[in-house]
Amino acid sequence: MGYGKNAVLAGVDAGIEAGSFVGILGHNGSGKTTLLRTLLGLIPPLKGQLVRRGAGLGLVRFGYVPQKERLDPLYPLSAFDVVAMGTYRNVELFQRLRGLGRRGFVQDCLAAAGAQTLADKLYSDLSGGQKQRVLIARALAAEPEVLALDEPLAGIDVTTQKALLKLLGELKQDRGLTILMVSHRIRAEKGLFTHILWCNDGKAAMGTTEEMLTGELKEIFHGEAG
Amino acid sequence: MSQLLEIIKPDFLLHHAVYGSLVVGLVCPLVGVYFVLRRLVFWGVALPQVSAAGIAFAFLLQGLGLNYFSGSESQEKHLAIIGSLIFTGLAILILAWLERRSQGMSEGRIGAIYAAAGAASILFVAWNAAGETEMLGLLKGEIVSISEADFHAMLDVFGVVAATMLVFQKEFLLVSYDRDMAVTLGRNVLLWDVLLYALVGLTISLGVMTVGPLVIFGFLVLPPMTALPWSRGIMSFSVLSALLGGISAFGGFYVSYTYDLPLGPVVVAMAFILLLLSSAVRGVRAALS
Repeated sequence: MGYGKNAVLAGVDAGIEAGSFVGILGHNGSGKTTLLRTLLGLIPPLKGQLVRRGAGLGLVRFGYVPQKERLDPLYPLSAFDVVAMGTYRNVELFQRLRGLGRRGFVQDCLAAAGAQTLADKLYSDLSGGQKQRVLIARALAAEPEVLALDEPLAGIDVTTQKALLKLLGELKQDRGLTILMVSHRIRAEKGLFTHILWCNDGKAAMGTTEEMLTGELKEIFHGEAG
Repeated sequence: MSQLLEIIKPDFLLHHAVYGSLVVGLVCPLVGVYFVLRRLVFWGVALPQVSAAGIAFAFLLQGLGLNYFSGSESQEKHLAIIGSLIFTGLAILILAWLERRSQGMSEGRIGAIYAAAGAASILFVAWNAAGETEMLGLLKGEIVSISEADFHAMLDVFGVVAATMLVFQKEFLLVSYDRDMAVTLGRNVLLWDVLLYALVGLTISLGVMTVGPLVIFGFLVLPPMTALPWSRGIMSFSVLSALLGGISAFGGFYVSYTYDLPLGPVVVAMAFILLLLSSAVRGVRAALS
């Protein structure tokens, strides 16, 4: 996996089960985001095969939560507008010409992410934690089977981090979502993960959280916790 | 006031020019909002200049004896439109391809294309003394002398551009704002980009033929810049930009007609005054709050 001719990760052999909460972990520059972007189909694998099969053997429906800094603050969009983008999977020209939208559904997604009061606020004016809730609501609006989050806790205070992790745990439980979450730190999240995909030295290894808590990873866990 | 009433009368001698300016003023900002949002404002400078070079090249070919389309004035315009479309289309393809590869300095590429297109326009004119007058007229924009047939053709094309921009607004917004999200939703980003760029090329090519490169650049950039701080959502941004473009066009025509001033610069000045007024009002509001 990588960009152009530059391989970032090699020998990745992993399967993700439905309903699991996978932490994609590793140090800065270890290829976590490259791995997630490849899984999402944003960049093609340089070699090998990637099978993404959802319920009924169709393609997996992803709900993607990018790093919040990736979105340009120049756009004059309210939180509602941003969440509504999650519903743009199909053109739905007929509905559009008749002026039918999915306002109620978008409001429901905002409420599910605890962001209903933010609907009319300008997205670029929101705090980091509020933006993250709005982006989670947008991912839910895509009616996903898999929620994929790229560093959702970066640049957010500890209290908000805990609230977001609680939200993710509830979403997984209530909606039966599979969750993939990239993080460069593991202390706060480790109780939630069912599996860990560990990226290090150009390789990736995967196992259950218990299996992975050995050797180098165990030291890192304990190091952070300490 | 009497002049204003005269201008809006259906039997006004230059009524095609008034409505033509108005249509260009209303439609160009619909395309321009994506130049501003995608931070490609300099495309708005370079592409009209490339379009002008295409027009000049088409006339040069005609001057060199490749006059398959020459004869009537209308056929000469068709030749110019073809030249404009080909040059603008090629420039958009090259710029878009380089943007997607994300290599090198974007501003540098656009600056180089602008400089080359400006130089080429002048050289093509210099090598074609026979068609110089007609060409300079086209490059300045001949909206005042637009014919009935050209006016209706312009209405048709700009009508299609405006309708497509509004109907597929969600797609254009999605691929502009968050390409990754668009891909995960299964949307064909390349397809929507190509459609958007095709509409940009069509608008600029026809617009430059109608009102000239200066006015097209003004309409592409100034109304969206004025509208942006007052907008909430892409629809309000698009509609407000179009309205400001329409006001600039109509107001510019009125001032130009009343004081016998050249139309193009007056229209651009009008759009710029609206931008200054908007900035002043925002400044006062910020000071008061």
